[in-house]
Amino acid sequence: MYLLQIDWWIFFEKLILVAVIVTTALVVAMYSTYAERKIAAFLQDRRGPNRAGPFGLLQPMADGLKLFMKEEIIPMTSSKFLFVLGPMLAMITACMTSAVIPWGSTIDIKGHQVPLQISDINIGILYIFGVVSLGVYGIMIGGWASNNKFSLLAAVRGASQMISYELAMGLSLLAVLMLVGDLRMSSIVNHQIANGWNVLYQPLGFLIFFICALAECNRTPFDLPEAENELNFGYHQEYSSMKLGFYLFAEYINMFISAVVMSTLFFGGYDIPFVNEAAWGNHWWVGLIGFVVLMTKAALFIFLFMWIRWTIPRFRYDQLMNLGWKKLLPLALVNMLITAVVILLLHK
Amino acid sequence: MGITQILFWILAITAIFSALMVVISKNPVYSVLWLIVTFFTISGHYILLNAQFLAVVNIIVYAGAIMVLFLFVIMLMNLNKETEPQKSKWLKLAGAVAGGCLLLVLVAGLRHTEKQMTEMVTGDIGLIQNLGKVLFKDYVVPFEISSILFLSAMVGAVVLGKKEPRIPVETEMRKVEETQQAINI
Amino acid sequence: MNALIFSAVSGVIMMFSSFLLNNKNSVRVLAHVLLLATIIANIFELRGISFFHIDTRGMLEFDRFALLFTLVANVCTFAFFLLSSRDLEKIGNHYSDYFSLLFFILAGIVVSSSFKSLLMLFLGIEILSIPLYILTGSDKRNLKSNEASLKYFLMGSFSTGLMLMGIALIYGATGTFQTGITVAEKVPVLLITGMMLLLFSMSFKVSAAPFHFWTPDVYDGAPTVVTSFMATVVKAAGFIAFMRLFAEEFGSIRPEWKLLVGIVAAVTLFIGNITAVFQQSVKRMLAYSSISQAGFMMLAIYSLSNDAKEGLILYAAAYSLATIGIFAVLVRMKDYTFEGFNGFAKQQPFLAGILVVFLLSLAGIPLTAGFLSKFYMLKATIDGGSLALAIFAVLMAAVSVYYYFRLIQSMYFKTGNATISGTTTGFKYTLAALAGITILLGIFPNLLTNWLYF
Repeated sequence: MYLLQIDWWIFFEKLILVAVIVTTALVVAMYSTYAERKIAAFLQDRRGPNRAGPFGLLQPMADGLKLFMKEEIIPMTSSKFLFVLGPMLAMITACMTSAVIPWGSTIDIKGHQVPLQISDINIGILYIFGVVSLGVYGIMIGGWASNNKFSLLAAVRGASQMISYELAMGLSLLAVLMLVGDLRMSSIVNHQIANGWNVLYQPLGFLIFFICALAECNRTPFDLPEAENELNFGYHQEYSSMKLGFYLFAEYINMFISAVVMSTLFFGGYDIPFVNEAAWGNHWWVGLIGFVVLMTKAALFIFLFMWIRWTIPRFRYDQLMNLGWKKLLPLALVNMLITAVVILLLHK
Repeated sequence: MGITQILFWILAITAIFSALMVVISKNPVYSVLWLIVTFFTISGHYILLNAQFLAVVNIIVYAGAIMVLFLFVIMLMNLNKETEPQKSKWLKLAGAVAGGCLLLVLVAGLRHTEKQMTEMVTGDIGLIQNLGKVLFKDYVVPFEISSILFLSAMVGAVVLGKKEPRIPVETEMRKVEETQQAINI
Repeated sequence: MNALIFSAVSGVIMMFSSFLLNNKNSVRVLAHVLLLATIIANIFELRGISFFHIDTRGMLEFDRFALLFTLVANVCTFAFFLLSSRDLEKIGNHYSDYFSLLFFILAGIVVSSSFKSLLMLFLGIEILSIPLYILTGSDKRNLKSNEASLKYFLMGSFSTGLMLMGIALIYGATGTFQTGITVAEKVPVLLITGMMLLLFSMSFKVSAAPFHFWTPDVYDGAPTVVTSFMATVVKAAGFIAFMRLFAEEFGSIRPEWKLLVGIVAAVTLFIGNITAVFQQSVKRMLAYSSISQAGFMMLAIYSLSNDAKEGLILYAAAYSLATIGIFAVLVRMKDYTFEGFNGFAKQQPFLAGILVVFLLSLAGIPLTAGFLSKFYMLKATIDGGSLALAIFAVLMAAVSVYYYFRLIQSMYFKTGNATISGTTTGFKYTLAALAGITILLGIFPNLLTNWLYF
């Protein structure tokens, strides 16, 4: 009888939204692999994948199929449960972040106001931060459970790197929060629609956030957990088949999500620049346009990520730590301080 | 029983079970992982009390940072069943009896608690706006004083963690750096 | 408030001095000046002049008791600085950081002696403890120091956990963190449970038996200079917090805990004194002696009268000064065992004489401050209605004479070559001044206790 108390409309609305968003994330991540190889090829003056389908467009499918078909190996000496749990956690935490991102403006379907956001909790940005901070467990558990020294070293590297960069990331976020005065993702976007994008007020904060996002996604130049020339293959060395696929996939999802988060926090989310789209009303196509705009911004960031990956070499470990603790952290603090002072003066 | 109560029972049982597993697990890594589960259930309780900010901060600080460091250290020390020092059976028994006695006394004492004190779902003191106001108005003095605590912990981390410089190695390093610079030029 | 802000700011200044001043002497002088400034600021507040007006919302109350104890603690720390600050240098490279930690401890002492809210009690006790965990382990190359630090930290955080649990239960029972609750006819069970947990954790912090197990190991393992500080000033501060907590928060439910505190006091006296008899190392003996002195200070909490308050302040001063003095000599000795003191009187008659004064004061021989403070405690206990406990305490004090006199015996009546290094004239005069204060307080205790009223 409790089931009767549930508002079925909201239930299905959210269910559909979740399905759509997760599928989108997966598809985008899938084609990110393709894009990555194409961009790498472009930067290195090659052709890249071009056999499977037109322009090699079916290549991700083929790769996925290959990963599914491969023999599954769980090492004898590994800790079985944790070995399986590792990639699961990596995937789950990668997908969870999408829950609080506003994907588009509220639309009107047959009298129902449907926000294109799974949940607009009043601590949205902290939720993202919390989930991101959990992302490290996938790597750590997987690396430890493999019972392989290289994996373990990579996992430990990954953990310390993520923790170090989380601090600067959080501090750069704080400055944004001071500007907006609310932790809800929707109000952060609305604030930007009304007052201009945050990146205009927080260029330094954005830069710090961007660098930290690179580090959190374990992308070059911060891909020390998978530094193949030092650690063979990094933390997922013992993994094979789709478990390996999950790890690789989670990285791309993370990249997509952090691109979306950056667009939302600093580049106005689904806001179309120089256009007052709120005047168009709550039609479904307005929401769709907003979604497309957000995706375009995210795509630009993903391209930036890949561009960096194929142009900048990897950091040495001590350089990485120096950058995180001695440069980004003080910079973020100074940024926060300046923001606070300016806000205080303006309010007076 | 409403949904809140069902959730409460599920969370409470998971919390106690995982807390027990922290103690029982042979492998320290498993203990840490169970502890993380415990933190999650506690965060769940915070959400039931409508204290979302506390819930998420609990996860960020404990599960996301502190436990990662714990895991980090335990993994690096490579503790496992073989290297674990075995206490004598009697000591274990004594510990169990002592802990059980404490539990017994607490349960016996608190069984007669006068009133029901929790307010589920209602109450919004845990929301971030209210929490911030209380923290910076009523509790601003303790808030500021706790900064002394953190400062001393930070000084302590430097005192304990900083590498003791040894003069011969340092001069050696300087030489190395000088040669490196010479090469760069 | 003066002392709190001055000592916290001094801690920060000392922190920066580590890279602004590269001369150890100037760091030391700076520390002395800052502490002197703190003392003067505190005296101003004791005379009714507060430099800062901060609305603490009733969470801190700087009454005369708190201020006077802060003064005592600061002056004892000053004596400690004068005598032992050179020895801090020998611990490691972070000379100025040690000072800054000590200043933070002083800030914690102010908070924990003037709290009016359980939240503040927790903060104060933590600010006291955390720098101590670090200072205990500051001798990084010494395994014993590492072990002591870890042990102290683990046990300490466990007792902090108990304290928080207790505070939570009390909050559940009363709905407030403020002390000074009034209870109805029937005392809530939650309150009693919380009170017990707080009793346990505070007993741990002041190393009262049966929560004293960490004390000998930690005091023995820590660098001797640090032991000197934490066995004296910090322990006394713990007692002041203990006293304040039980007088203000649990004063109204006294029948519930009086017997328990009495038992804790008796057990502490017994264990501390009897075990101290068997020690071969002077440092370890002093650790157990600190436990037994804690037993005497527990008597103040048992009786909770005005006499007890005066006595506790006097006790804190007498015990701290004497122990700091003995430790200051001990640090410079080559051998920490009783044999190491053989023939000390022949080589250093002046220092030996001063040590005798300190030892007599600890043992509670008349004409020293130690006697009067013990007297106050006993008087308060008898007024509090327990003659048996007082008699037991006297018996135990008699036992303590044995091990204090054993040191005197090896100094004066045994031959050997006790070696001591680095005794300057200034050091000797400072020690003599401490001994002078000890005797002066033993004759005119009003010099100190009058501050409570005028």
